[in-house]
Amino acid sequence: MDAPLYPPSSAYIAPERVAEPLTTASASFNDFIANPPALAILLEEVPELKMMMNTSMLKPHLGNMGPRTLIAFGGGHPERLDKVDARLKALGLMMGTKP
Amino acid sequence: MTARLFTPDRREMLAITGGALLLPVALEGAAQAATATASIAAATGGRGQPFDNGWRFQRGAGDGLEATSLDDSTWRKVDLPHDWSIEDVPGGVAPNQRGPFDKKAIGGKDTGFTLGGEGWYRKHFRLDGIAADASVEVLFDGIYGECQVWLNGKEVGSHLHGYAPFAVDLTPALNRAGDNVLAIRVRNLGKNSRWYSGSGLYRQVKLDIIPAGTRLARWGVAAWTRTLDNGAAEIDVSTELTAVTPGLALVTRLRDSAGRAVAEVSAPASALVKQTLKLRGPKLWSGANPNLYSLETELRRGDQVIDRMAQPFGIRVITMDAKSGMHVNGTRVVLRGGCIHHDNGLLGACAYPQADDRKVRLLKARGYNAIRSSHNPMSSSLLDACDRHGILVMNEAFDMWHVGKNPEDYATHFASDWQVPLTAMVRSSRNRACVFLWSIGNEIPGRATPEGTEWGWKLANAVRRIDPTRPVTAALNGLLGPLYKAGAETARPGHAGEVDNAAAMFLDVAGYNYRLDDIEPDEAQHKDRLVVATETFPTDAWGYQDLARRAPYALGEFLWTAMDYLGEAGISAVENVSENNKMPFPFVGWPWVVSWCGDLDLIGDQKVPSLYRDAVWGKSKLEMAVQRPIPAGKRETYSNWGWHDELPSWTWAGNEGKDMTLRLYTPGDRVDLHRNGVKMATKRLTTGDKMRAELVVPYQPGVLEAVAYSGNTEIGRRKLETAGAPASLRLRAESKRLKSGRQALGFVSVDVLDSSGRVVPEADVKLTLALSGAAQLAAFGSANPLAVGSFQASTARSFRGRALAILRGTGRAGLVKLAVSSEGLAPASLTLAAG
Repeated sequence: MDAPLYPPSSAYIAPERVAEPLTTASASFNDFIANPPALAILLEEVPELKMMMNTSMLKPHLGNMGPRTLIAFGGGHPERLDKVDARLKALGLMMGTKP
Repeated sequence: MTARLFTPDRREMLAITGGALLLPVALEGAAQAATATASIAAATGGRGQPFDNGWRFQRGAGDGLEATSLDDSTWRKVDLPHDWSIEDVPGGVAPNQRGPFDKKAIGGKDTGFTLGGEGWYRKHFRLDGIAADASVEVLFDGIYGECQVWLNGKEVGSHLHGYAPFAVDLTPALNRAGDNVLAIRVRNLGKNSRWYSGSGLYRQVKLDIIPAGTRLARWGVAAWTRTLDNGAAEIDVSTELTAVTPGLALVTRLRDSAGRAVAEVSAPASALVKQTLKLRGPKLWSGANPNLYSLETELRRGDQVIDRMAQPFGIRVITMDAKSGMHVNGTRVVLRGGCIHHDNGLLGACAYPQADDRKVRLLKARGYNAIRSSHNPMSSSLLDACDRHGILVMNEAFDMWHVGKNPEDYATHFASDWQVPLTAMVRSSRNRACVFLWSIGNEIPGRATPEGTEWGWKLANAVRRIDPTRPVTAALNGLLGPLYKAGAETARPGHAGEVDNAAAMFLDVAGYNYRLDDIEPDEAQHKDRLVVATETFPTDAWGYQDLARRAPYALGEFLWTAMDYLGEAGISAVENVSENNKMPFPFVGWPWVVSWCGDLDLIGDQKVPSLYRDAVWGKSKLEMAVQRPIPAGKRETYSNWGWHDELPSWTWAGNEGKDMTLRLYTPGDRVDLHRNGVKMATKRLTTGDKMRAELVVPYQPGVLEAVAYSGNTEIGRRKLETAGAPASLRLRAESKRLKSGRQALGFVSVDVLDSSGRVVPEADVKLTLALSGAAQLAAFGSANPLAVGSFQASTARSFRGRALAILRGTGRAGLVKLAVSSEGLAPASLTLAAG
């Protein structure tokens, strides 16, 4: 039985971003903020998120958290987020692209 | 979870998610040291000489206190480990200051309302007789927080990270023929931690007397078991030497537990010596059999040993892959881990070896096979204990990188200093059998931005360059970030061109915090992703066990947390609120000082979540607890880290005839319930019950007995008896002998009993200790999560019928007499031998 090795890689070259649909499961709050049409849909369906995203508590963490990640902590609204996703899909919005 | 001010902590996240955001946040002695100038046994020289005793300490800021001429005779004498934050607030006045707790502490609930500030340590010592050209280094296993070090008035070092070991070369300022004064300023200032950090020289300090010229580099030995085959082991050892001169040999040897040399190789010394030890019939290290060898490294000139190190070493091979899971020496292991913070409860941050050993033993007894040292490098004494007891360790470097979680936290130094603690953590513990996984961070803000992604790469690869024998992980909350592809230069070898999330792409194992339901769907998108659940909720114990059975890529879990800790006060508080109150969980502040989310409480006793875990992990066939009655019109609230307010108690005076909710935890499929010999109910369980069942039974004092069955076979029986009023006290020593030395501890539990010898489940009485002989009181208190008083006084109150006294050796042999009394109760006493 041989022990495995986990060797380092040699150099950092910024990785290439892969296109993916913007959804409430894939996008962080920061991703929504960077995409005003998507943000508008989100806040239309779940208006209380606007207040949450502007708090000093959540603001610095907007890159790690998204609408669906709140569900594990007892928050979030799966059925309303499903509506958001349907509307985002209809618009064909993608992560990381400017609207 | 994350923190305040810059990032939400656990409760704030719950508040945010639960819509409670607009609600106001309800925040609200010393040991006798050795004599003044100690003379080190320098004639023998060598590394690792104890340097813990005989310090002087002053709490408070000052300038020029490093001066050699300063008269420190009025400073307090202390022997290490020492943590001033766990000492009573100087001049503290109740009710807003109680023991070490201060309602106005800048750290607030994060640090359990304890105080930091500035403290100074001084130590006088002589090194008579050391070689004229010998080097002398002092090795600190960790100092919280930022510190400066002077020898004889000359600054010789400084350090920023509160948990990483570091060495300071004293040689340039050393007085070889007279007194030396080592002075250390420690500053724990501002709001810099999300949990109780402690303050001061809270870990071991050692002195290394090292020969001039060629020597072994600090943490320069890297050994790993490369292969186990046909009853033989091959261990590759790399050894770094400094200032190499010709004519020297490097001898590397393994000794077994009986001291026999079982493998040895020798090679000419050079800057980097690579050797292989071959050993037939090795005794392997594992959780079940944590066999340890001593790995000795000697630098020799002929027969003369010039420099020497010895360290524990366990022979083991750990593999992990998505198709078959994790294996230790070929045997599948599912991680049953617990996150812990570094404090030792009533002792504060003090890393006494016996306190660390006790913590590990308590956890192992409950079925834990792994610990995550959240969120900082583990002390050497805790690593020693994990090596000895076969507990796997995820050693974690950081709680933040370039973006802070508190205004004065380590992020303020990260960009310029990160390599110092990371390198020290990996180099100092890379030969530990127990360490199986490196974590580069916990819930790092900004980790998925382009800058954060590059930091992730830097950190993971910095670890791999030092130790390529262990995988790298990070604890990831929420989203793992956008999708990327990395080229061959940048990706993990073998993973070029794979699509992966920003936060996971440079990790060998993705750490998931609180995402049980995401693991399987994510695996469908990212084939062969290894996942470890780096933080979990107590109610998910069954879910993670079940997942590991069908999903080998899910290596197991680390509960948040295995043991209560100081700070993050009240994240698991339980409160009964009006039924129309929308508050999803209690938002408590002062006087809460303890997290209350541990399986074990602050003094090591089991709480009810641990009883459930016992059933899930096969330690028990049946456990039961009774819900504390909830007043009419109220509902019970607690966070996901919490648990019902229930006790393994059938003592509920005043509730006679009222319905009581009883919860049963069992792997069985049926439980019968008897009250005072009369069968009251039967409950059947299915897989969907996840080993939890609930029954309602009217309260009537006496005996409540449950019997669990699997099919028609009885598998377990559990009885609760109504206790009477407190009548007597009981002392129980965990060991009958207190070891010698100032770092020796003895743990003595105090129980409040009724007239039949039953622990009174909710007894809250004032206890007074009387201690004499060859021990001092290190700490005395209970598991009460509220600030109720000192941990260092000879009086304390019991909590739920229990308390704990921790005795400390005086360095003298003799008898120790301990007595405990409480008004109206029969006292108890015991005698121990010390030394």
